[in-house]
Amino acid sequence: MVEVSIERNSSLASIAVFGASLITLLCASLVYAQDPDTRAARLEQQRQAKSQQLRPYNRSGLESILFELKDRRVLERYQAGFKGFHPMLGGMTTGSGFALGTQFRKTDIADGVLNFQIGAQASFAGYQKYQLGLSAPGLAKSRVFLTFNFIQDNFPQEDFFGIGSDSDAGNRTSYRLEESDYSGSIGVHPVRKLDLGARGGILNTNVGHGTDVRFPSTEEAFNSRATPGLDQQPHYKYAGAFVKYDRRDQPLNPRSGGLYRVEGTYYRDRKLGAYGFRRWSMEIQQYFPFFNERRVIAFRGKLDLTNANSDQQVPFFLMPTVGGSEDLRGYREFRFRDKNAVVFNLEYRWEAFSGLDLALFGDAGNVFQEADEIRLNKLKTSYGFGFRFNTEQSVFWRIDFGFSPEGMRPFVKFNHVF
Amino acid sequence: MFSKLSCILTILLLAWIPASAQKFLPDDPMLVDRDNLIDVGQPRLTKLSDYYDFLTNTFSSQGDHSRKPAANANTLGEVPDSSWFQNRHGRDRMMTEELVRGPNTAIGPSLTEPWIVTAGKTEGVTPGFRIRDSRGDLYVIKFDPVSNPEMATAAEIISTKFFYAIGYNVPENYLVFFRREDLRVDRQAEISVGLGATRRMTETDLNQLLARTPMTSDNRYRAVASKVIDGRLIGPFKYHGTRSDDPNDVIPHEDRRELRGLRVFSAWLNHDDSRAVNTQDSVVTENGRNFIRHYLIDFGSTLGSGSVQAQKPRAGWEYLWEPWPAFRRIITLGVWDSPWIYVDYPELPSIGRFESKAFAPQHWKPEYPNSAFENALPDDGYWAAKIVMAFTDDDIRAVVRTGGLTDPEAEQYLIQTLIERRNKIGRFYFNQVLAIDSFTVDENLMGFAYMPAPYEFVQRPDQYTLSWFRFDNVKNEKIFVGNEIGAAGPAFRFPPELLSDGTAYFGVEIRDKQRGEHRGEGPAVSLFMHRFSRIRIVGIERTWHVQ
Repeated sequence: MVEVSIERNSSLASIAVFGASLITLLCASLVYAQDPDTRAARLEQQRQAKSQQLRPYNRSGLESILFELKDRRVLERYQAGFKGFHPMLGGMTTGSGFALGTQFRKTDIADGVLNFQIGAQASFAGYQKYQLGLSAPGLAKSRVFLTFNFIQDNFPQEDFFGIGSDSDAGNRTSYRLEESDYSGSIGVHPVRKLDLGARGGILNTNVGHGTDVRFPSTEEAFNSRATPGLDQQPHYKYAGAFVKYDRRDQPLNPRSGGLYRVEGTYYRDRKLGAYGFRRWSMEIQQYFPFFNERRVIAFRGKLDLTNANSDQQVPFFLMPTVGGSEDLRGYREFRFRDKNAVVFNLEYRWEAFSGLDLALFGDAGNVFQEADEIRLNKLKTSYGFGFRFNTEQSVFWRIDFGFSPEGMRPFVKFNHVF
Repeated sequence: MFSKLSCILTILLLAWIPASAQKFLPDDPMLVDRDNLIDVGQPRLTKLSDYYDFLTNTFSSQGDHSRKPAANANTLGEVPDSSWFQNRHGRDRMMTEELVRGPNTAIGPSLTEPWIVTAGKTEGVTPGFRIRDSRGDLYVIKFDPVSNPEMATAAEIISTKFFYAIGYNVPENYLVFFRREDLRVDRQAEISVGLGATRRMTETDLNQLLARTPMTSDNRYRAVASKVIDGRLIGPFKYHGTRSDDPNDVIPHEDRRELRGLRVFSAWLNHDDSRAVNTQDSVVTENGRNFIRHYLIDFGSTLGSGSVQAQKPRAGWEYLWEPWPAFRRIITLGVWDSPWIYVDYPELPSIGRFESKAFAPQHWKPEYPNSAFENALPDDGYWAAKIVMAFTDDDIRAVVRTGGLTDPEAEQYLIQTLIERRNKIGRFYFNQVLAIDSFTVDENLMGFAYMPAPYEFVQRPDQYTLSWFRFDNVKNEKIFVGNEIGAAGPAFRFPPELLSDGTAYFGVEIRDKQRGEHRGEGPAVSLFMHRFSRIRIVGIERTWHVQ
């Protein structure tokens, strides 16, 4: 009996549990039907809620500006120009100061065979430069090139410290140099990267009163006997030949390869018959990359030799010079000038980050009256460091600080040094 | 009988309790996220500024960086199929033909009639144009740089196939060869040249454009024809936040596992350009509903290619702007530098710069910080590494061959490099967590696979420590049962007390005894099981050294 009773009680309990479970389950089912708690339902709820608050994406002010900059291709358009017109910022000539200008270029004449350009540029120091050019760079399946150029310069504040390597920095003067240069060249590319060519033209020159109010004009401090070409300026016909082999990977920001150039030009003074001379220019650039081209040892050697005709002279304003942002960077522009010049530059360049290379450099160079006087132990030296803001293809901004016994020289340039 | 019925009802009840706190919901693990159910309407085209994207991601922190677990991974740690990602090779192995075909649905633009050039561009380093083929399909034609024939096109083709097999939406990209006479400029075609409005494009423009592209030895042009993505393109997605105009986009992108894990895939394939502007959202219509599908695009800068030149040596190693390396280089005059600077690359123009010897997946970086990549946790990396490791040597070989590299040495180098990079990914990420997976259960036995075992680059654990637990799904609480047990894998019997007491949820915490003998030590895997009519796995949780 007892056992039966227990069994019956157990059955009753089971029925009770079952009933309770069923009721709870039914309740739960009702709740579930109203608010199904599944992963998908939760996401669905969030999505439904968000659908009530949709709004389009709005750019912030800065983003809008940056977007327009890119979308309107402002930088590309700057490079591409407006209907052939291109702004020119800086890069006019050594010592000109910051220059502005414009250039018109047309590169699709005669199905792209001919390029035409005309430009004008002026600097805040009163420098002016006008140029016109016509070129056919790819004739005969890109094996022959032709160029014609006209350049008119008016540089009113060219520095002159006297001739010779012992000229005094305290004798700084300025003069105006005006040149009209009509030239043409023809060349061939017998093999890739090699240019052989000949060049000829007419060069008219004039020297005038310098406008740099801080210094006397050159004719006030130097006489014409020690400064050939100061009182009379020649008009030239000139002709020459050149060879150039350019193995640089990126000419405007080289990291490997080299450039080897030799040029010889004969200048005949067709006006006075007093300033005829020959000029030889040689240049070697070599780049030694290492560490995946993130380090570069860059070397340049430059030799400029002139040799006047018998009883004639090389005018001072066409003499080779040393000094300034392009070669002997611890000295002022055109600090030394004479009939011959030699310059060596050695740079160690290293990448700080994408877009900035740094450089440590050492320069050595000097001018010599005669070519056979050139001695390495007579070279003046300078050293310094620089910042090169760049893209992979070019250096677009350069800040160099050069040091020499004559002090520290900062240079801010919108070009590449070599 | 009533007892058994009560028991079943109780289990049903427990399973159906609508408590928001509960860890496992009835539809867990969710295999498909139907994020296309709410009509998105007609969201407008929104282009992003890549300059702004670079600046904001480089100089500020974008999105939420609170190191939360991925928000869209299901309870098994997998990514449900969605408009972002479709599980492919990682879930079910694709056949070689499928890997080779990739996303392509045809054989590329038809050459039965000349392609009609509909637009061109002359700016930029690489030329390009759009064409329409005789079927009316639109393609963007992209070329190799002159300095590196085959490099960018091969990279684009190969990476497209890998990213597709991994699971991303990608465009159909075809390797095409054509001659000048296969092209004709449309009368309405326009070309952008310089400032001002675009002008009508001429055959001469096309000639000039082609003059800047390399030719094959049989005087053909080699290019990638990228089919314009289906749907209405509305611009890229960002790697943080959500689209404010998409109701279905509710999970912050930096918390999406497929975007976090993209870091691993990008490291493998050196997709350093993995940034917002190389993505694309498209409004597509299915079943009368508009929704947004999310694409990765533009793989020209992958592998050893930098699109317009060989990949920069910095790429993949350092952001475009990182102050400390830059500062150290400046003050040490470049004497100090990162390891990438010393890496040797072979002279293979069709490869560019791509290598495996110095490659370290954990140190790989895109061009600039990416919120999703930065939020990636070891379990995100593990998820991605599993997919990378799913590509066998033969799979890699088959995909690389679609790149059409004509230099056998280059092709072999690329295959070998990808294999070695894959192995490094597996070695690193499989070691970040306890890499046991492919769990199986039956009535009284649980088994698993030790993932690195086939590769022999991590020693298989001799002994595992098991901690069995009952799981309170409502309280999200483990109640450990008995003592920790040491056992050798890869199969374990369920403790009898868990089988007999009718507990709905139970599980086991597994640790590699050598890396952490006791709870809280070393990486662990918690396996959650649910018992209804049968036992099934509902959850896998991975923990690692530093949470």
